[in-house]
Amino acid sequence: MSNIDLTLQIWRQKNSDALGKLETYTLDKISTDMSFLEMLDVLNEKLTMEGIEPVAFDHDCREGICGMCGAVINGVAHGPEKETTLCQLHMRHFKTGDVLVIEPFRSRAFPIKKDLVVDRSAFDKIIQAGGYVSVNTGGTPDGNAIPISSHIAELAMDAAACIGCGACVASCPNGAAMLFTSAKISQLCLLPQGHAERKKRALSMVETMDKEGFGNCTNLRECEAVCPKSISIRNIARLNREFVRAAFSEG
Amino acid sequence: MIHQFETVIIGSGGAGLYAALEASKNSNTAVLSKLYPIRSHTGAAQGGISAALGNVEEDKPEWHAFDTVKGGDYLVDQKAASILAEEAIQAVYDLENRGLPFNRTPEGRIDQRRFGGHTRNFGEGPVRRACYAADRTGHMILQTLYQQCIKNEVSFFDEFQVVDLILEGTKCSGVVVVELATGKLHIFSAKAVLFATGGFGRMFKITSNAYANSGDGPAVCARRGIPLEDMEFFQFHPTGIKGLGILISEAVRGEGGILRNRDGERFMEEYSPTLLDLAPRDIVARSMLTEVRNGMGIRGDRQIDDYLHLDATHLGKDTLMKKLPDISEFCKTYLGIDPADDPIPVLPTAHYAMGGIPTDEHGRVILDNKGTIVDGLYAAGECACVSVHGANRLGTNSLLDLVVFGRRAGKHIAQYAKGADGVKVDESAADEARQWIEQITDGSEGPHGGHITDEMQTTMMEKVGIYRNEKEMQEAVDEIQDLRNRYRDVRVQDTSSTFNTDLLEIIELGNLLDLSLLTAASALDRKESRGAHSREDYPERDDDNFLKHSLAYLEEDTVRLDYKDVDTSIWEPKPRTY
Ligand SMILES: Cc1cc2nc3c(=O)[nH]c(=O)nc-3n(C[C@H](O)[C@H](O)[C@H](O)COP(=O)(O)OP(=O)(O)OC[C@H]3O[C@@H](n4cnc5c(N)ncnc54)[C@H](O)[C@@H]3O)c2cc1C
Ligand code: FES
Repeated sequence: MSNIDLTLQIWRQKNSDALGKLETYTLDKISTDMSFLEMLDVLNEKLTMEGIEPVAFDHDCREGICGMCGAVINGVAHGPEKETTLCQLHMRHFKTGDVLVIEPFRSRAFPIKKDLVVDRSAFDKIIQAGGYVSVNTGGTPDGNAIPISSHIAELAMDAAACIGCGACVASCPNGAAMLFTSAKISQLCLLPQGHAERKKRALSMVETMDKEGFGNCTNLRECEAVCPKSISIRNIARLNREFVRAAFSEG
Repeated sequence: MIHQFETVIIGSGGAGLYAALEASKNSNTAVLSKLYPIRSHTGAAQGGISAALGNVEEDKPEWHAFDTVKGGDYLVDQKAASILAEEAIQAVYDLENRGLPFNRTPEGRIDQRRFGGHTRNFGEGPVRRACYAADRTGHMILQTLYQQCIKNEVSFFDEFQVVDLILEGTKCSGVVVVELATGKLHIFSAKAVLFATGGFGRMFKITSNAYANSGDGPAVCARRGIPLEDMEFFQFHPTGIKGLGILISEAVRGEGGILRNRDGERFMEEYSPTLLDLAPRDIVARSMLTEVRNGMGIRGDRQIDDYLHLDATHLGKDTLMKKLPDISEFCKTYLGIDPADDPIPVLPTAHYAMGGIPTDEHGRVILDNKGTIVDGLYAAGECACVSVHGANRLGTNSLLDLVVFGRRAGKHIAQYAKGADGVKVDESAADEARQWIEQITDGSEGPHGGHITDEMQTTMMEKVGIYRNEKEMQEAVDEIQDLRNRYRDVRVQDTSSTFNTDLLEIIELGNLLDLSLLTAASALDRKESRGAHSREDYPERDDDNFLKHSLAYLEEDTVRLDYKDVDTSIWEPKPRTY
């Protein structure tokens, strides 16, 4: 274990209407065993003592499950460590003298609520447009239920691993929500339960995505690189296929 | 501001969402949640949900019900346990029909795996009963239910934190809520209110629970005169990552992982010859602590924070990646080790509240040992006590509890809200909450909430932990009382009204302090060892005097204890060996 001294530049913004700016703080003797969020806790304690309003940031489980946390660290959503959420990032990845620029997940569709906290409810709107199974396709339970091959189940499961953190949107230069939406569509279109509604689902989820202010995908693959759950952009290809198929057959 | 709904559900974990799904079919329903729904702690559940589908080997609901009763050391209400086991099967198929991607057998059926305490033919040996979606079962359930609620157009009020309950006599008429974004107080008036606020592991220093698990529902109810049932029973999960408390799912042992002491011995052979590492959690956690105390921990220094090894190296990289991907990730992130190469350092961690708000089989809240019902008030999920977990919960039975009893409560509400008279509340219902908040934010100097939290968690961990005795528990009660006194002067440092998380944390601390007091007092009064409640001064189970549920009432600064019968109508209590 060792201690490091850091300079932090953090986005401070009072509320969604106020103008924000980067403020600089210094923090000494941070143990490299700490997690990134624990480091922010230490900063907040210090700020509170000094009579400065603490930095608002989202978190809950602190174990990479809930999808609450998230910020852009030196330009990378969830920070430099691959396949982790911000709460799983450890200070051992940094060294004394580092300057960390900490900003919220920015996107037209994610208004900033305060400091590092953004409103990700646009994701809900996309789900609302069709990210569910509403037709009961199962027969009477006979101990077999619906047979599904384990290969397909695994693909569906990998897609369903999405925790909705929004890093994909924040990292995309176009602010697209394609990785998120494609993960949701893939999960359902892969499973027989989801087949009945697949056309309508693809069309209306994509339409909502546009309406909520998310941008277009131009295959830059930034989203895949920052996704803490390693959701593959192959899901985007699947979404495109679903969409094209639906668009043509709907006429 | 007063909002009118027929039904208000507090909490959007598995229990709250399932109830909302049912209630909204027949009543105008709002869900209030201090977190975004899909961020609820149900998402953290890794291992699985049990149901006697019999997909991979013979199994029966009756065996499942029996295991639940025996696992709970006979403090389980047996009819409720039968309902749980019987309705489990339909519950799993319902989730599947709604698009939950369960793992599959080679033939395409839902796969099942072993979990602690689940046995075939009344205890003969382990059975495969847990349905799972890799180690993300809770996440999948939450997503599936949320999608369904959105489809049903349930109104969600996210980042709304309930701080008080409005009761008139034995009738509930709504709740008082703080909106995080603005700091404003709202009143939600409703004919039916359901609490599904989850657990309260944050009472303890080392816990697998998230920050939001502060027991708000039970605490709010307790302050309004509703007793809390079986609070002395808190489950410590055997395998938390050493020092952090983060959970390594029992699924690792379900897939064949083994606990070892410093000599590499499989010590569970000694404590539980039949079920070995898959004995119920209370037994495994105690065995681990006994090893540590005997100097058989990995360091061997007999200190409370010495640890043991969970060995999964023989399972192979393939199985680990396929069946336990998140756990492999955890180990790499938090420990810098790969469980395929190195054993995982583990120690028991505070995990699950068996006790909570007493309810009947329809989720209706009960006020006393005569079964008096509070009209319009319901509870489900971890914050409730039906009781299907008794003195110790079996793994995978919690997710099951959420879906079975969340659903039952929702269905009952749908009926009730249709028939019941409208309720009337006015702004004065929020007066007490308003005064409390004004006091916390009045800008005067006061002690720091954080230190009180720290002291509370340490006291609970050390004195009301896995092993307990009269002297230490009495000290704990006194210390918690002392902290509650100091708490009265706590003030927020951050006085802004938008996103004042400082204020909400102080309110949560108040809740945890009340629950700590009720837990310690209930534990002190139960002079026997049963399930998770293990007393050094009373090491035996005492059915003559203590085969009964405790009901703890918070009366100003004291706790009054009463007791209630256990339903043992199906199986006669027997000594519990595995
Ligand atoms: C790491 C871990 C792994 C687990 N694995 C398993 C497993 O494999 N199998 C199993 O069966 N069980 C497991 N459990 C237990 C199980 O996950 C929980 O008991 C269960 O998810 C609790 O669900 P719930 O719906 O009662 O509450 P939660 O999911 O905790 O939801 C509580 C809800 O209440 C809301 N809330 C709380 N307070 C307030 C308030 N004041 N105002 C408004 N809203 C509020 C929150 O926002 C949240 O939406 C595990 C638990 C943990 C911690
Ligand atoms: S805080 Fe839950 S994922 Fe980071």
